[in-house]
Amino acid sequence: MAAYVFRRLVSTIAVMAMVGIFVFLLLRLAPGDPAAMIAGRSATEEMIAGIREKLGLNDPMPVQFIHWVRDMLSGDFGTSIFAGRPVLELMSQRLEPTVSLSSLTMLVSVMIGVSFGILAAWRAGGPIDRLLTAFSALGFSVPVFVVGYFLVYFFAMRAQLLPVQGYKPISQGLGPWFEHLILPTVALSVAYIAFIARITRASMLEVLSEDYMRTAAAKGASSFAMLFHHALKNAGVPILTVVGISFAYLIGGVVLTETVFNIPGIGRLVVDAINNRDYPIIQSVLILTSGLYVFINLTVDLAYTLIDPRIRY
Amino acid sequence: MTISRREIIKTGLAAGAAISIPSVLRAKAASGSTPTVHMVKANDLRIFDPIFTATNVTADHGLAIYDTLFGLDSKFMPQPQMVGKWSVSADRKTYTFELRDGLAWHDDTPVTAGDCVASIRRWGQVAPGGQLIMERAGDISKKDDKTFVISLKEPLGILIDLLADLSPPCLFIMREKDASRPATEQVTTNIGSGPFRFNDALVKPGASYTYDRNEKYVPRQEPADGLAGGKIVKVDRIIWDNISDPQTAFAALQAGEIDYVEQPPNDLLSVIESDPNLVVDVLDKSGKSMLLRLNCLQKPFDNVKARQAMLHLIDQEAFMSVLAPKYGASVTSIFGGDTLYSNDENTGWYKKGGDPEKAKQLFKEAGYAGEKVVVLQATDWAPSNDGSQLLAAALRNIGINVELAPSDWGGLSTRRAKKDSIENGGWSMFITSEADFSLANPLATPLLLANGESAWYGWPKNDEYEALRAKWATVATLEERKALARQMQGLWWDFVGDVRLGHYVSPMARRKTLTDIIGLPQVVPMWNMQKA
Repeated sequence: MAAYVFRRLVSTIAVMAMVGIFVFLLLRLAPGDPAAMIAGRSATEEMIAGIREKLGLNDPMPVQFIHWVRDMLSGDFGTSIFAGRPVLELMSQRLEPTVSLSSLTMLVSVMIGVSFGILAAWRAGGPIDRLLTAFSALGFSVPVFVVGYFLVYFFAMRAQLLPVQGYKPISQGLGPWFEHLILPTVALSVAYIAFIARITRASMLEVLSEDYMRTAAAKGASSFAMLFHHALKNAGVPILTVVGISFAYLIGGVVLTETVFNIPGIGRLVVDAINNRDYPIIQSVLILTSGLYVFINLTVDLAYTLIDPRIRY
Repeated sequence: MTISRREIIKTGLAAGAAISIPSVLRAKAASGSTPTVHMVKANDLRIFDPIFTATNVTADHGLAIYDTLFGLDSKFMPQPQMVGKWSVSADRKTYTFELRDGLAWHDDTPVTAGDCVASIRRWGQVAPGGQLIMERAGDISKKDDKTFVISLKEPLGILIDLLADLSPPCLFIMREKDASRPATEQVTTNIGSGPFRFNDALVKPGASYTYDRNEKYVPRQEPADGLAGGKIVKVDRIIWDNISDPQTAFAALQAGEIDYVEQPPNDLLSVIESDPNLVVDVLDKSGKSMLLRLNCLQKPFDNVKARQAMLHLIDQEAFMSVLAPKYGASVTSIFGGDTLYSNDENTGWYKKGGDPEKAKQLFKEAGYAGEKVVVLQATDWAPSNDGSQLLAAALRNIGINVELAPSDWGGLSTRRAKKDSIENGGWSMFITSEADFSLANPLATPLLLANGESAWYGWPKNDEYEALRAKWATVATLEERKALARQMQGLWWDFVGDVRLGHYVSPMARRKTLTDIIGLPQVVPMWNMQKA
């Protein structure tokens, strides 16, 4: 097991290095110039040239790459070209909103999605199953921003129950923090609930048709024991895989929700940085995100052993 | 396991109560709050140094935390602001300025003449007006802690106007140690002597910026008038919330979470107007002109006939109906729609609805032989995105081989600097805009240069025009300058330095409770505004 974990961690470094080279080249080869963005629409060529020189953007690409890697290895992720602040400081400011939103979304999605999936499988072919299947199809089909605007219109503007936009850090109190996250969490959860519910239903249906389930029923096991003790445990591996992948996608996919609800998270930081060609931010966030993806996958792989004792590394 | 109806009702009531808690808490919080104004600016405040960049949002930031030597009043006449007294020598070559009492930096140290000298020198590195002063100045020096002198090699009648100019980058006075940096290097602190203090502890780059009232600021005694007069701050705090989605910004405005949206999208204006709690208002009455820059170095627009063809082709009414419905108009003067120097010299090319036949004829006379015409289209700026498509359609209608080159503004900014041929990644035209206030000063805006490859993108060249433009700084009276403007415009429309697509004003939206915002071109000062 330890050797496996070590191998995976080493592969993480290789993945991050590949991502680093790819992102660096992509940014430098893509059209656009941070100096021009800084200088403004009416700026003269001289103003832009002066800023380029100062930012070191005229250095040869290999020199820029070496500087970047050297700084990163020493723990310096660079300074935002625009904000003039360390990238790590900016990322730490944006981490809490994204982690809060993602975690709450996953919590809600797993709780409701798995419950819906079990219910649908248990009552397969019945009205509840058809209702939940219809919900799943709807959840997949409706884009998150449509759900977002819908929720804002009814719950924030018409009913005035919740704020339209913004984020309050948890340090300002649990109430305001939670209040600002309710609508974004619901908007973002809909698709994930649908996804997890479908996978859970399919896995559970497969398990429920196994011989040992019939045996359990013949022995007089209760519905609860059959579903949660026997079936869910055996259907757990694919569900866990899906939850892991969903969480990894969620980290990078919250940007639309962050935009609709004006949540200053990592997603918006990256999108703004891409629009501004703020190279240090884009590079650092993508590198760290790739590391996070690998870490989540590793965690999921290790979690398999808890659900299924037959799995060994 | 069974669930009773009573349990379901109980659960529902509990959930309802739980959901309503936040709104109750919010109502309580609102009733005890101090006057804080929430504003959504047109762009994010990406750069804090108002000399380092010419963007309007940074100029607004500068206006809040820094002070200026002079300020333009509502009639665009320069009035002393930090300056208490000033005088000019009999030969009009030596200007002496004395700072007024009570000026202090946010770190409580006094503002000195040395700070002013350093600030003028730094501004003079980048601002066209400042560069002109630096060219003409023999010496700029401090006489004592409160007095400094600008000695000129020859008289410069518009010196005070240039010092007061509000076209970014404006002359903001910074601490000497900040202003000693080169203009291409950002100032890293936000310490000014203006009516607001920038709250560094609360800044969240890309998300929100907080300005607190500077309790120690000593305003002038005169009433506020444009950028002149007393800068009296009537709210405790102003927060710029960066809401990138216009629909969300609008919803927040309606819900009362935001007080001001600087640039609401055109398609929401009618909805805003119909809301009894909101007002659509125009702060910059002089507005902006929408321009088409043509690449004078490459075919086909290296031929003046092809450029003249574009003048005749454009149907300004059609463009404005798309780009600025309700708020657009036609414009024929290079100095803008309604400025001191707007005139009708050599505007015979203008025809309502355009004249495509004439344009076709002129392209033929230019020897156009099907060369590709590349229109740079910035998809993240609506006027460029929509206008370029309209432009392409108009050109195709008269048989021009057009190719749209879509990118974001960043991509356009890079490509427009290329002087190469179309085959080597060059370009033919792109849409931009400029404030009429800036266009009324051909020494301040780079868009009215015609000195070839040193000119702004498109690089028009006309030596006769440039000779006239050089006289702008020396003519003594307004009437003489107006006459000069007519001559310059006469030439400009002959060699076609650019093509106008129309003139427009940008409406902003605010809640009715936010009042007394000072309306000016280019900048939005935050003093004087009140929130009920």
